[in-house]
Order: sequence, then C-alpha cells, then structure tokens
Amino acid sequence: MEPRLSWYLALSALLFTIGVVGVIIKRNVIAMFMCIELMLNAVNLTFVAFASFFQDVTGQLFVFIVMTVAAAEAAVGLGIIIAMFRNRESLDVDDASILKL
Amino acid sequence: MLVLLFILFGGLAIGCAINVVAQRNPLYCAISLIGVFMSLACLYLMLAAPFIAAVQVIVYAGAIMVLVVFVIMLLNVEQEERRKIRMGFLLPAAIALAAALIAEVTFILASVDSEPLQVSDLGLTRSIGPALFTQYLLPFEITSILLLMAIVGAMTLARRTRELSTGARVIPGAQVLALSEIDPTTSHEEPGTIESHTTSEAAQVLGITDLRNQTRRE
Repeated sequence: MEPRLSWYLALSALLFTIGVVGVIIKRNVIAMFMCIELMLNAVNLTFVAFASFFQDVTGQLFVFIVMTVAAAEAAVGLGIIIAMFRNRESLDVDDASILKL
Repeated sequence: MLVLLFILFGGLAIGCAINVVAQRNPLYCAISLIGVFMSLACLYLMLAAPFIAAVQVIVYAGAIMVLVVFVIMLLNVEQEERRKIRMGFLLPAAIALAAALIAEVTFILASVDSEPLQVSDLGLTRSIGPALFTQYLLPFEITSILLLMAIVGAMTLARRTRELSTGARVIPGAQVLALSEIDPTTSHEEPGTIESHTTSEAAQVLGITDLRNQTRRE
C-alpha cells in the first residue's frame, strides 16, 4: 500500500487548520506571522501533491512562485513589525488596534 | 515502507505545527516551524519533487526563518502571558464541529481512492526549468518585480524616520525652504521663504552664524 492523494490532502487541510487556529488565538505579531507561513506551506503541499499525482509540472511552478511571494511577505511584514515595535514598544496586536503605525 | 515514511513525516509536521501554536515563547515557535518545513521537504521528496524540496529547505528554512529569528532576537520579545478564556461556553460547540470535520475527513480518506504515484522525472530541475522560462516567463518576471518592490518597501518601513538629522539642517542645492524650517526661533506664521544653493549661503541670508550648535527642533 502506498500513500494516496487524499492522504496528502488531509494532511494539508490539518496543517492549514492549525495555522488558522494559530492566527486566531495568538496575540504576538511574530507568532501570527509564523502561523501565516504555516498556512502557505499547507497550500504548497496541496500543489505539489496534485502536481505529482496528475503528472503536471504547473503545480510545482505555482509552489515556486508562492515561495517567492512568501519571501517578499516576510521582508515587508517584518519591516512593519519592526516599525510597530519602535513606535509602541510592544508586539501585542491588541496594542495596535488603531489604524496608525 | 512509503506509508511508514508518510506517517513519520506527516506526524512530525502536525506535531511541530501544534507546537508552533501552543508555545508561548516566539523563539520556540520559530524552531518548531523549522521542523514543519523540514518534514514538508521530506514529504516533497516522497512526492518526487526534489527541486521543490531543495528550495523549501534553502528559502524557507534557510532565508525566511533566519530573518524571523533575527527579528525575534532584535526586538527582545517577551513571553505571552496567560489570559483567561473568554466565551468558554462556545468550547463544546467547537469540539463538536471539529469532531464532525474529522469524521468527514476520515470518510473521504476511506472512500475516495486515487491512482498510486507514478515514477517520472517531473519534479527534476531539468523539467521545471524549460516550463518556467518558456510558458511561464511572464509570471517569473512579475515575481522579480515583486521582489524589487518588497526590498524597497522593507527598507522604507524599517528605516528610522526623522524629518531632519542634526547635521543637515539645510540641504545644499537649489531648494526653497520655509524660514521656520531653517531657523527654529522664527514663528511659524511668518510666510517668508528663501532660496539657497548651499548651507552657508542660506545661513548668510538668514543671518545665522552658528548652524551646527543649535538645539535640534523637536
């Protein structure tokens, strides 16, 4: 018996759900950021699984581009986090409830 | 054999992911997240995608997580304190819904069956490269522009924003500056502007002798 496509999809759904739960219950901005990365990785797993099982290279190219977007997101997001910490001396999202850095 | 590997790496990924959410110290979160990335890279290898697995390790576990750990170290993050759970009456409903979801997933796992994985050279760099540089060249180039924008955005956001540093009260060049911008002692209502080409020229026009030693305007 070998791993089937549905196994990978179930694993990816579980990882994505854990990421969503993390974004909801975490209050530290950096921890929320890492949970978003977790969700992106869960989606990547779906792409690679579909690409491999359906014999199509497009899914893997999508993963490549998603990774680039994740890198850009990391750079900009961490810049925002640093600016927020500099102005508020705190990383708690409840302290940043007004739309002003 | 492959099933055992899947269970091993899948279980590792889920365990590390739960640890990411459960930890209160962000540094431990980051290390658990690296565990998730590594086990996902192993799963990509099992899915016959070695190029994506390598990029996963290099870009995610290497570059992005190093950036995150740097920021955690830089900002001196403290642990999250425990807070009492609000809306605790929703907890049974959440558990019931989660049980329903798990039941659905189990049903799908048991009923739906797909073809087993075929051996191919699909995930090799040799087959990804031609597709990336011919059919998907435009997305590739757009991605490079996105990265450029991200560089500029990150520099702009993380830079310390001060209006004027103490050393550069008047910027040399053909600039028209408000008088109050140069001489803080003048009132802001005064509408006079001066045109200057150098710092000393502006100082001469204004009659300011000691530009450098003035206290910084707050």
